[in-house]
Amino acid sequence: MTVAAPPSTRKARKRPFWTMERRDSLAGYLFIAPQMIGITIFVLIPLALVFWYSLHEWNVLAQTFRFQGLANYQTLLSDPGLPQVLGATTIFSIGLVIFNMSLALLLAVLLDQKLKGITLYRTLFFSPVVVSLVAWTIVWGFLLQNNGGINALLASVGIEGPNWLRHPTTAMISVIVVQVFKNVGLNMVLFLAALQGVPRELYEAARVDGTPAFRQFTRITLPMISPTVLLTSIITIVGSLQVFAQIAVLTQGGPGMSTTVLVYYLYQQAFQFHKFGYGATLSIVLFLIVAILTFVQWQMRRKLVFYED
Amino acid sequence: MASVTLSDVKKSYGKAAVIHGIDVDIADGEFVVLVGPSGCGKSTLLHMLAGLETITDGTIAIGDDVVNDLEPKDRDIAMVFQNYALYPHMTVAANMGFSLEHRRVAKDTIAERVKWAAGILGLEPYLDRFPRQLSGGQRQRVAMGRAIVRDPKVFLFDEPLSNLDAKLRVVMRGEIKALHQRLKTTTVYVTHDQVEAMTMADKIVVLSGGRIEQVGAPLELYDRPANQFVAGFIGSPSMNFIPGQVGASGFEADGVTLPCPAGTPIGTKAIYGVRPEHFTLSPDGIKAEILIVEPMGSETQVTMKLGQTSVIGLFRERVAGMPGETIGITIDPAKTHLFDAVNGQRLG
Repeated sequence: MTVAAPPSTRKARKRPFWTMERRDSLAGYLFIAPQMIGITIFVLIPLALVFWYSLHEWNVLAQTFRFQGLANYQTLLSDPGLPQVLGATTIFSIGLVIFNMSLALLLAVLLDQKLKGITLYRTLFFSPVVVSLVAWTIVWGFLLQNNGGINALLASVGIEGPNWLRHPTTAMISVIVVQVFKNVGLNMVLFLAALQGVPRELYEAARVDGTPAFRQFTRITLPMISPTVLLTSIITIVGSLQVFAQIAVLTQGGPGMSTTVLVYYLYQQAFQFHKFGYGATLSIVLFLIVAILTFVQWQMRRKLVFYED
Repeated sequence: MASVTLSDVKKSYGKAAVIHGIDVDIADGEFVVLVGPSGCGKSTLLHMLAGLETITDGTIAIGDDVVNDLEPKDRDIAMVFQNYALYPHMTVAANMGFSLEHRRVAKDTIAERVKWAAGILGLEPYLDRFPRQLSGGQRQRVAMGRAIVRDPKVFLFDEPLSNLDAKLRVVMRGEIKALHQRLKTTTVYVTHDQVEAMTMADKIVVLSGGRIEQVGAPLELYDRPANQFVAGFIGSPSMNFIPGQVGASGFEADGVTLPCPAGTPIGTKAIYGVRPEHFTLSPDGIKAEILIVEPMGSETQVTMKLGQTSVIGLFRERVAGMPGETIGITIDPAKTHLFDAVNGQRLG
């Protein structure tokens, strides 16, 4: 004999609107909301405004704001100073990236050793990063003067130093060196963290295999830290294209236009010659250069960067 | 192939001595396992043999050459690491051939050697893959392949199976043993797993606290452990230890008299040792109270109270008793051990 099951006392419940999936989605959106609001207010809206301004002739002193379509872009193409500005920007960027990353990697490798007082050395090389940029540059400005500290030091060993900031070649070298010494500590710390993340067993295996030290560096260390190399190269290139304060304090773009990089030229056009519309156009050019370079680097990662996962 | 001799090898880090004078002779082609609990110094000893750690005192010789001051690359050894230490950005073939690149070996020869090693280890289908695309066992085989392409005098294995699951460990254990039987290269193998040591070794070196406890063939260590440490370390489940003293009618423990080998003076305070598998069920035997019964299919593990001491018994038969009931057991005196109650050394 079979007995029928008693009727369930549970009520059939209607599916609630706030399902677990919806709650999770809402939580996700709430987490990213502050960042999205910040990007919208401080990046996307200003970018749109800059593009809008680049379509206008805007003179603050004359209080004119007139739509003129692509006229500023036509001016850009025929601007006789622009090739020199782009040339100076390229030289500055290439010099800075090569010097900064090489020095940072060298310092990181040296500071990755088990030495007494290594923390002190690491702090010492990182400390310029936290120093005020303008103060740092002013001090270097004094040191690089014709009768400054560096030439005095050279004179003490019988060498007559050049007028560093008044000669086109040495001026460019000077601003690059000042910028590298200021920021090399940041890349150094990133490289150091990457080096310390390489499993020690790989080096032990390489030692047993008889891999020479330089080959260990090129065949094991560099591929293993390649994600960090990509990151630092993007940060450094973007930073080099945005350099302003060092140029403004040390050379004001001179001698001639030898150190007039794009951002400084933009500043001159907008705030010295009051051509805000044309300044905005130059900003768009800068944005496109940074975007294209970053995109190219990101694409190259597949070939040059090793990711374990 | 070559013999390996460690003579009074010591290692200290500052004032802390971690290896206290190790003497081991490893014959040409022998498979020697260094075994011991974590921190006993077995990996340090292997790293010293590899040249990855300096030695504080003593000599290490490979063949007729003292290698104390030689770089790892000049010792003609190859090492398999616990975490494989494969270069993750290189393919299997590149990993295996990498060590030959620095030795000015022709590319064709490297390719041949890699193919030969891959053939032995069943890695031929995976030569173009990266380590991340392989399973744990395949990675371990690549690490072994990297070692054998060089045809070194000595293989060093540093806990190579500890990252694998239990089933794969058994498979790889067999593969390493088969590889040794095929190549007959002198092998030093470090593990904390006594089952690995027992099944693979020609000779086992048991280490504890940076000292050798016993050196011998696996069954020698099992049958005649030199001291209580080795007796407890070798064998699974561990040997049972019961404190007491030797009496006229046997070993007198707390509440029970147990059969023991003759020859030990009456009144000697000692630790009585008997392996779980050396108990036999017998209704007329010594009575023990069942505490836990753990049927494992092929055998039954019973935790029981013998006198006042809790011991483990391992029986081929199925034990039907319940906790609280008593069973009868017998012990073959020839399979029991006595250890000094003070220093743990074997008596008799």
